[in-house]
Amino acid sequence: MKVIIDGKTIEAEENKTILELARENGIYIPSLCDHPGLAPFSGCRLCLVQIKGKKGYSPSCSIYIEDGMEVKTSTQELRKLRKNILELILTEHPNACLICSEKKECDEHKATIRKVGEVTGCVLCPNNGDCELQEIVEEIGVDIVDFPSYYRDMEVKRDDTFFDRNYNLCILCGRCVRICHEVRGCSSLSFVKRGPETVVSTSLDKRLIDSNCQFCGACLDVCPTGALIEKGKKYESLADDKAEMLCPLCSVGCKLEVNLGEGRLLNTQPAADGPANHGQACVKGRFLIKDLVYSRKRIEKPLIRRKKKLEEVDWNEALDWVAGKLKKYKGKETAVIRSTQVSCEDGYVLRRFADEVLKTGNISSEPAFSPYRELAQKLGFMPALNYKIEEISSAETIFILSSNISVSHPVVWLEIMKAVKNGARLIAASPIELQSNRFVSLQLRIEPGTENILLGRLQKILTGGESFKAANESKVEEKALREAAEILKSGKSPAFIFGSESIQGPIGREVLTKLWNTAFLTKGRLYYLGLESNSRGIFELDRNFSKKGRQIGLIIQDVIDDKVKALYLAGSRIELPKKARPEFFIVQDSYISKNTQIADAVLPAAVSAETEGVFVNMEGRVQKTAKVLKPLGETRPDWWITSQVAKRMGAEAFDYKKPSSIIKEIRNNLPGFAKVYYPALEKSKEIFIKEETSQKGKLFTQEITSLPERNNKRYPFRLILFYSLDSYRNLSLSETVRGFRMFRNSQWIHICLEDADKLKLKNGDSIEVLSPHGKIKGIARITKTLSPGLVAASPEYPIFNNLGLSNGLQVMIKRGK
Amino acid sequence: MQKILDEFGNSQKELIHVLHRVKAKFGYIPPETIPEISRHLKITESEIYGVLTFYSAFSLKPRGKHTVTVCMGTACHVRGGPKILEEFERRLNIEAGHTTEDKQFTLETVACLGCCAIGPVVVVDDDYYAQTTVSKVEPILEKYKKEKKNAQD
Ligand code: SF4
Ligand code: SF4
Ligand code: SF4
Ligand code: FES
Ligand code: FES
Repeated sequence: MKVIIDGKTIEAEENKTILELARENGIYIPSLCDHPGLAPFSGCRLCLVQIKGKKGYSPSCSIYIEDGMEVKTSTQELRKLRKNILELILTEHPNACLICSEKKECDEHKATIRKVGEVTGCVLCPNNGDCELQEIVEEIGVDIVDFPSYYRDMEVKRDDTFFDRNYNLCILCGRCVRICHEVRGCSSLSFVKRGPETVVSTSLDKRLIDSNCQFCGACLDVCPTGALIEKGKKYESLADDKAEMLCPLCSVGCKLEVNLGEGRLLNTQPAADGPANHGQACVKGRFLIKDLVYSRKRIEKPLIRRKKKLEEVDWNEALDWVAGKLKKYKGKETAVIRSTQVSCEDGYVLRRFADEVLKTGNISSEPAFSPYRELAQKLGFMPALNYKIEEISSAETIFILSSNISVSHPVVWLEIMKAVKNGARLIAASPIELQSNRFVSLQLRIEPGTENILLGRLQKILTGGESFKAANESKVEEKALREAAEILKSGKSPAFIFGSESIQGPIGREVLTKLWNTAFLTKGRLYYLGLESNSRGIFELDRNFSKKGRQIGLIIQDVIDDKVKALYLAGSRIELPKKARPEFFIVQDSYISKNTQIADAVLPAAVSAETEGVFVNMEGRVQKTAKVLKPLGETRPDWWITSQVAKRMGAEAFDYKKPSSIIKEIRNNLPGFAKVYYPALEKSKEIFIKEETSQKGKLFTQEITSLPERNNKRYPFRLILFYSLDSYRNLSLSETVRGFRMFRNSQWIHICLEDADKLKLKNGDSIEVLSPHGKIKGIARITKTLSPGLVAASPEYPIFNNLGLSNGLQVMIKRGK
Repeated sequence: MQKILDEFGNSQKELIHVLHRVKAKFGYIPPETIPEISRHLKITESEIYGVLTFYSAFSLKPRGKHTVTVCMGTACHVRGGPKILEEFERRLNIEAGHTTEDKQFTLETVACLGCCAIGPVVVVDDDYYAQTTVSKVEPILEKYKKEKKNAQD
């Protein structure tokens, strides 16, 4: 269709607002409440335009274009009107600086004074210099506000974590309320009261932390004023540069925009064009990257242990010393355990180092995908893994299995919510009420550890068979299950979404097989959430090597049995059990931890923002993260450190200068990575791991092989185990960042009020969860979403730290010391 | 409370109806009912709070047996509305927006009742008092206090 804007004829496609079309064509219309990604609102009235044949003025942000439409955006009349409207907006916003005649001179001489209690002008506002309102005042050119000013004098809300809220600066554009509701599905913020008393607030003006807020920061990022201010950025200089990196903190792989000032990382925000995250992220990517870069626990210099003490040395000395010592061990006596948060380049070099230099079979295998490897063996091909997150939004039915996905993978959850808003039906089979239960259409409250039974029964119903005798074992009524089956059959290609906790542990393999069956019967897709930022990448690397790696648990057992004498630990949060003390222990990592304390050598590795490299997310999407900062102190990338050790042990072909030469080698040797080139990745070309999967499939037997243990009176509770992804390398995020710990702590052990009363436990008491197989310690957290008899924990790294605990286990709870 | 909620479906469209029922039952909206309503109707507490503070019909504080509303609209204002309000505040020993300790009276103001001609207007429960003056305040209050006494006798 054709639309004429300001006399210019524009060829346009349907379904666009006038404002969008104008923006695309470089025609400026001021707007304050409109925001891409939000439904039109027409609250601020700044975007008024005149449309031929229509009386009066129309808000261009909410009028969709029509063929032949003639629009004027900048008549004198409109300009005057806008100026008046803006003046009205400014009456309730500190405006002295905005219209001051000394503005120019002042800007040049006065930096913003941010350590003030009350912001009464731009010179005191932390948003100064980065403010949409300032820009619009500049653009429209207000030099006097002809209406009486009104300061609302509300107390600044500082008692939440991560950001403050000063509603004296709020212009009620509603962006924050809308993004929280429309995009994040949290609806933590609302317009409260009415008329001139209207404010943005939470229920009963409680803190956000008590109002269902997930601290995604989306409201902060859309606010056009300084009303919402990030605590961590408040006292920083203004940004003088921007860069992009990948978030290293989960398997989604959000693209983040990094604001830099004087070479320092100021903060990170989700990048609008992130292919996996589309302008959204979660609390970790939004607020914690800075903490992990500038943590006080960072190790900046190589350390080696001499005369029982760790002392700082230079790289040459450290590397020679490590290489010299390592050479003394025979292949089998050495082992390498590698994190799945390192890049493919790092992982590949570590793998070659183990295979070719140490000549050991003891290289850790990727744990999160190992159930898949076994399923592939049974099937004769690898089940498809490459499904796009964004495609979830068009699913008609979604089945979530025992995963607190709105917490563990919030960005995936956003797509699920979109689907629900489009009419999809969501089935949640879980022992716990999901945090965003409101969106669930059918809840199957199963007993923990009976996922296999539930899926077995579902499969019987789908194939028309009778249900099992042991049906009641999963505590889900037949009727509900039949309803679930009906829902699954009714939609096209249901999406089954599940995390590591479902397919690890004693029944994990069975659960995965039954998931496969159910998906096979309903022509569904299996969305495996994976675990860490490069779980999939390391898995794909290893799959292409002829020799398999070994499970971490087995390697550790060998350390305990003294079969492995030299251990090389790279970037892993695994904590060695007390009995496991290798004779020679090298830790290549970034932070001080229990491991570095007992290490013989500590090789300080650079962190994510300081290194470039390739990561593969849960979709099989290959993405490159850039180096945006200089490595702190003497830290070096993992690939460099390992290849230096290798070289000094006399190995050849470890002469890597840049990670791109490692990728070249990977590309040439490993077929899954055939299309992975740096230049293409840097141009944001979509590249996926090459899959060789098959359409044909088969149905496996539906026998239930393991039933949950029962009736052990000594252990009256049942454990729900979620995997916390709240760590980076050897750093625990909740242990390190206080603001995050307030919000979420991997030490929390959830228990319901009734049980807590019986055990005389209060919030914050230290408790222990014990089973005959193992135990965890933690902090009691009383919650409403659990039923009596259940405890829920989400310890870090349960796969690696062989805790002996698994989902559905009978446990006992004791007060801790 | 659960009984009230069970009368309604789980749709968020029911919110206003639920709030009216809660008000009918308790005389106001006790804040502790908000989480329960939130769970039942599948909307968040903040959304409920937004709606509830929008309508002046709902209050989060317990209300007195009688509601005294003094008009502060322009017409009533110029004819002495504020003085009358002051007198009510003095006699009841509370500020506008509050309830007396014995839970007998809640004092409120309103911006115009649409009957400016007979201002200053005071409304107690459903009774309108036209052309009020400061000296009429006491007799008005007495009338309702008496009612209570009579009922007790
Ligand atoms: S941080 Fe996110 S969840 Fe919290 S109020 Fe803002 S948009 Fe809503
Ligand atoms: S806080 Fe910011 S985003 Fe929210 S309504 Fe106010 S000005 Fe708009
Ligand atoms: S942790 Fe995951 S979801 Fe959160 S920002 Fe990082 S990649 Fe995105
Ligand atoms: S941008 Fe159109 S009314 Fe605010
Ligand atoms: S001003 Fe009091 S009734 Fe209109």
